[in-house]
Amino acid sequence: MVLRRGWVDDKSFLAMLALGQVIPGSIGVKMTVLIGQRLRGAAGACVALGGLLAAPFAIVLMVGAAYAGFGEHPILHAVLDGVAAAVIGLTFATGLRSAAQGAPGIAAWGIVAATVVAVGVLRWPLLPVVAALAPLSIGLALIEARGR
Amino acid sequence: MPDGPGGSLLALAIVFAPLSLLSFGGGNAVLADIATQAIVVRHWTSAREFADLFALSRAAPGPGSLLATLIGWKVAGLPGALAATIAFYLPSAVLVFGAARVWERWRGSPWHTAIERGIAPIAAGLLLSGGIVVLRASPAGWPVWMAALLTTAALLRWPRLHPVPLLLAGGALFGALAVL
Repeated sequence: MVLRRGWVDDKSFLAMLALGQVIPGSIGVKMTVLIGQRLRGAAGACVALGGLLAAPFAIVLMVGAAYAGFGEHPILHAVLDGVAAAVIGLTFATGLRSAAQGAPGIAAWGIVAATVVAVGVLRWPLLPVVAALAPLSIGLALIEARGR
Repeated sequence: MPDGPGGSLLALAIVFAPLSLLSFGGGNAVLADIATQAIVVRHWTSAREFADLFALSRAAPGPGSLLATLIGWKVAGLPGALAATIAFYLPSAVLVFGAARVWERWRGSPWHTAIERGIAPIAAGLLLSGGIVVLRASPAGWPVWMAALLTTAALLRWPRLHPVPLLLAGGALFGALAVL
């Protein structure tokens, strides 16, 4: 989008990327909304988001329908288990890498561990866990920033 | 919760809309809650179906995950798919729309940095938790754990590995083992 269409310049593209983790949502959706907004306001954002989601929506439903048509088949289940295992491996690698990049220091690793224990091991609901840990984690980051 | 199609659409919205606002770093962050809600709390899918829909949603192209779409479709057909997709994508999109400029204006303030640094470890922890919860729910047991951890190790060792061949290899390996 930066190179081909000239819709946004490098600097605002990077600023959009930096919104990254703070505002929830997938990065593709966020970028799409921001670029649509910049070009055509609210209508642009809506059209861009619809355009982004329409084709994958249709494809995933076709895939789902094909799956339902297959019914119970042990080999299909096994293949999907293999795909799921690889996807989870990707998820773990992303999580570990972003923990290492974004969380230098013992306090931040403590927050990572607390999140994993609460949500991954104890299966507590996300909302209260995030509501409790986010202020704590942000507070720790503030204290750390003052100390430097 | 009222029964009937209206009730299930409402239930989909009630589950997915708040998760939209918690998906720090992408849809994967809320995987743990999607799994728990779908399998344990709402009984929308069996553990087997969830594992299948999860794999399908990732094998298909799309922004992050359309797992919500597939679960909505399973619960209430096309209206369910639409309701779940809108509930899962719209709230965070509206938030970006409203908050992006405010957030940019704050750039450089100590709060800006602290919030960015404070959210990062939670986002990372949520990703790891999502993987753990889905593995625990998987009916296939230890082979899936093994394969997932091997994939993790391979990706940490060789970060440039492309995901698609990994997914194909995982599927082919497990499929071949099932045939034998």
